[in-house]
Amino acid sequence: MTTSTDPSSSTTRAAISGRPPLWRDVVVLKWVTQVVLLAVVLSAMWFLATQAGDNLKARNISTGFDFIDRPPDIQLSEGIDTKPATGGRALWVGMVNTLRIAAVGIIFATILGVFVGLARLSNNWLVRRLGTMWVEVLRNVPLLVQIIFYFSVLTTLPRVGLDSGPINGWLHISNKGFSMPRVFMADGFYQWLVVVLIGALAGWFVHRRRTRLHDATGVNTSPNLWALSTVAVFGIIGLFIHPVFAWLGPVFGAVASGLDSLSVGVAQTVLIAVAVGAAALWIRRFLANHRSARGHLSLIDDEWFRIIFVAIAALAVAFVVLRWGGLSSWMLNSGRDLFEAIEAKFDVDGAARPFDAMRPDIVQKGMFPNYGVNGLQMSIGFASVFFGVVFYTSAFIGENVRGGILAIPKGQTEAAAAIGLRRSQSLRHVVLPQAMRVILPPTGNQYLNLTKNTSLAVAVGYSDMVQVGTTVFNQTGKTLPVVSIWMLFYLSCSLTISVIVNWFNVRMQLVER
Amino acid sequence: MGFAGSGVEIASVAGDVPVPATPPITPKLPPREWLKENLFSNKFNTALTIASAAVLLAIARGLLAFIFHPERQWHATATNLRLSMTQAYPADQYTRVWVSVAVIMTLVGLSMAVWRAGQAVALDALGRKLLSYGAILALLVLLAPFSSRATLIGLAAAAAFLAVGEVLRRRDDDDRTISSLTLLVASLGALVGSLWVIPYGHHSFIIDRTPRVLAEPGTVAMTTKLPWTVMLLVGIAAYFIGRALRDRLPVNAFRTTILLVWFLAPTTLLYLVLRDPSFDMGHVISTDVPIWAVFTVAGTGLLLWLTRPTTGEIGRIVAALVLVAALASFLTPMRMIIRLLLLLLGLFSLAAPTFAGDVSARRRYSGGWVGVISVLCWTVTAINTPSTIEVPGDFFIGGLSLTLMVAIFTIVVSFPLGLLLALARTSKMPIFRLLATWFIEFVRGIPLITILIFFSVMVPLFLPNGMHLSEVSAVVVGYALFSSAYLAENVRGGLQSVTRGQHEAAEAVGMTTGQKTVFIVLPQALRVSIPPLVGHCIGVFKETSLLAIIGLFDVLYIARNVVPNQTEFLGSTRENLLFVVVIYWVFAYQMSKASQRLERRSGLGER
Repeated sequence: MTTSTDPSSSTTRAAISGRPPLWRDVVVLKWVTQVVLLAVVLSAMWFLATQAGDNLKARNISTGFDFIDRPPDIQLSEGIDTKPATGGRALWVGMVNTLRIAAVGIIFATILGVFVGLARLSNNWLVRRLGTMWVEVLRNVPLLVQIIFYFSVLTTLPRVGLDSGPINGWLHISNKGFSMPRVFMADGFYQWLVVVLIGALAGWFVHRRRTRLHDATGVNTSPNLWALSTVAVFGIIGLFIHPVFAWLGPVFGAVASGLDSLSVGVAQTVLIAVAVGAAALWIRRFLANHRSARGHLSLIDDEWFRIIFVAIAALAVAFVVLRWGGLSSWMLNSGRDLFEAIEAKFDVDGAARPFDAMRPDIVQKGMFPNYGVNGLQMSIGFASVFFGVVFYTSAFIGENVRGGILAIPKGQTEAAAAIGLRRSQSLRHVVLPQAMRVILPPTGNQYLNLTKNTSLAVAVGYSDMVQVGTTVFNQTGKTLPVVSIWMLFYLSCSLTISVIVNWFNVRMQLVER
Repeated sequence: MGFAGSGVEIASVAGDVPVPATPPITPKLPPREWLKENLFSNKFNTALTIASAAVLLAIARGLLAFIFHPERQWHATATNLRLSMTQAYPADQYTRVWVSVAVIMTLVGLSMAVWRAGQAVALDALGRKLLSYGAILALLVLLAPFSSRATLIGLAAAAAFLAVGEVLRRRDDDDRTISSLTLLVASLGALVGSLWVIPYGHHSFIIDRTPRVLAEPGTVAMTTKLPWTVMLLVGIAAYFIGRALRDRLPVNAFRTTILLVWFLAPTTLLYLVLRDPSFDMGHVISTDVPIWAVFTVAGTGLLLWLTRPTTGEIGRIVAALVLVAALASFLTPMRMIIRLLLLLLGLFSLAAPTFAGDVSARRRYSGGWVGVISVLCWTVTAINTPSTIEVPGDFFIGGLSLTLMVAIFTIVVSFPLGLLLALARTSKMPIFRLLATWFIEFVRGIPLITILIFFSVMVPLFLPNGMHLSEVSAVVVGYALFSSAYLAENVRGGLQSVTRGQHEAAEAVGMTTGQKTVFIVLPQALRVSIPPLVGHCIGVFKETSLLAIIGLFDVLYIARNVVPNQTEFLGSTRENLLFVVVIYWVFAYQMSKASQRLERRSGLGER
């Protein structure tokens, strides 16, 4: 519609000469548009950044991460350290709390979700109805409202008394939360772990052997069962012989002092070599993949862009490593600290047990009795976030499970029955493996959502990452640094989960052709 | 491959295709056999039935015991309804709220008539439904800790349900039906009628006399029974007007008009009716109107010329020059509205060749330009005008109205943004794709609450001197950015479902990339992505509850932090929260049901 009817126009002349003028050349126009957009985005960001810098200076707020090493005046409600010594330590406690509730939540939401999905497919009318009610109610009420509602119900529980129940000395429920017996890793744990790792290696060999036997003879050799029993046997033996690995401590100590004696230059060289080497390998593979059978290489501009992008990224990493040497020495120091910590774990009494257990206790120091430190405690903040995310996510996972099972054609079950498989066998070997392929991707998404949703804990005062961060920036005024730490943390959580889910997903996929 | 061969193929395929099968008719079992089949078919099933019945009964009993416990302060919720709906909107201006509701009701009635909402419900199916409602009601009444008089009343109501249901079910003429709209109006009528008996939402609570809840002396607008009756009548009247009009007016024009009004209603109601701006007429006439007039006249002329098919090369150069001028205007001191209008004019000019055509097409395009800048100019003027509504706090409205407002504006703002992001992410141009992908993945990787906190705390720091953005607007901007990333992913799914053949066919008839995208790809892609988009809207509505965390007065914040701190109602948190749960649930559940009906009716999601 834009073609001109005038024969002397530039378009026609260009068509004759074979190449359009510059301002009509699609390739040129596309790149000009993109570069202009990039310039606009970058200049807008630069404008906002300078604006923020000016405003911060005008209000006498300094940015910077120095609060990480300063002692904060913070009391956390729970976590591995309720009176953290530095701001960084406080954020670390928050991270651990977030990860703890996310991990436990994912496990329980999966179990509950599978039950909900199966209930919605049940032959039993009442169970089916119950499943539908569960899904429709929990899915349609905002998670935050649910969490706050559970919290307000749990706060009405009775206060802690010296003889509070329901089973005094074993299980306590009150408005301080739940307290129950706890099994924990004692001093000998790490030595025992070495035994188990050796057991896992042995189990892997056993698994391979049994699988080969199965392939050769066709007899059912149950390799999984064999492998698991091997690990279990090693675990039990390890309970008695674990002190024999005490000599590993000095080995780790030697590694630590080795790292300590390395110079920063060596670390920098290694880091740069890794970055540049990885980029070079990627580019080589990319080029090899895009070569035709005759070795002819033809790349479109998009592919050139990718190659240039990877090269620039590698160079940027190298630049950062060279420019800020502190980064490399920080990594060296952290490695040294890690190995020293491991050395300390092995430097224990020979009679130390790998595991220990304790019963909950109630102590009275001031006016009111309170839980002691012995039991495994779950505050009502934790409990309400936990119930909230688990119930909410289980409704969504249940729908995924239902959809996945419904997606299996009826012919599959009928065929399984026809070759004489029992119902349980057909479920295990025919239906579930195929359903998993449909269930897994959306469920992985739900795991991501669950992890992000734990951030709502800030509404009920559970010391998760967001709650601790809010407290820190309210005290120090360092909003920007705290927010950037949040984003980094949640992005890496999301990335980790999606990498794991993708790995499973690839393993599950049908291999076609 | 010749035509003869494929003809044979088609014939053989057609021979194999079975006659489209109607679903097998399952015979209705008599109750005893139904019970045996569905609940007690074997031992395991029986155990399951007993266990789940016990669980259900325990839940129902616990809930009823909670609701009807004598210590519950339901007065807290009933008395504070006005607070939960609109927060501290001034009482003497309350008629404005009802006018807004009336506009919405009119639009709903008109749309229902024009889109022929509602379906026929068979009377015997209705009877069966009433029977089950009656049975559930009877069960609940028996479980609840009522006094014997209340139990008797409840049982009588249940018996009435059962009787009506049984009569309807037993009718001989099976094919009698009733419109679902009649049922809707009947149940809404019952709800409104109950307001005349029980005074919800009135604002006086006197603890030492009965009845404790009193109508406050004041205008009619402060009560609930008369206004809501009027609202229902307005809705019904609008429906009948729409029905009378739909046969007399051209359907498509009528529908487009109503859609436009729906689109403009939120801004108009909020800024003109609810916010009651006090326009500085001198400034409006000396500055705003001239700017609008200049851009209307000049822009229309330019676009009419640009959309002429004979304009050709020089038009593109002019369009690019306008865009460059718009970008350059950001470097010089100038009114923001002029910069925005210039930028918009540049974009419209660049897109002009896509819409080139005969006179009517060109007029439509310039008409679109005039419409867009009129709305923009008017909105900017209204936003910059101080409100005459005096309320404590940053924003003049709160409660459920704030929740709905934030949800609507977020969706309206994030829709075009998400569309652009999706197009950029599927584009073949690497920098666009890279920027879009990074933005989307970054936003999807972090929780909404961190974005909301960031925008509510940090936005004042990023603004140039003298520019002010209220906290609510800042939060809507952040929320819209967040929502657009998710929306883009939904649209991308739709874009990928458009087959290659469609692209190739569009290119084969000589369409430009812009024309292909606007006229071929997007309509098909959006149609496919309607179900996930509705799901997204429900999600946006539900997550507006996060406003409570950053301290905006939404319905959750009022229920948790405001009402339980009033001296009469100390510690009424759970009652209020249960009320909020019910509100959110009703909205979200109705929306998801509506989207399922839409999917079934249009056959979406079955391809």
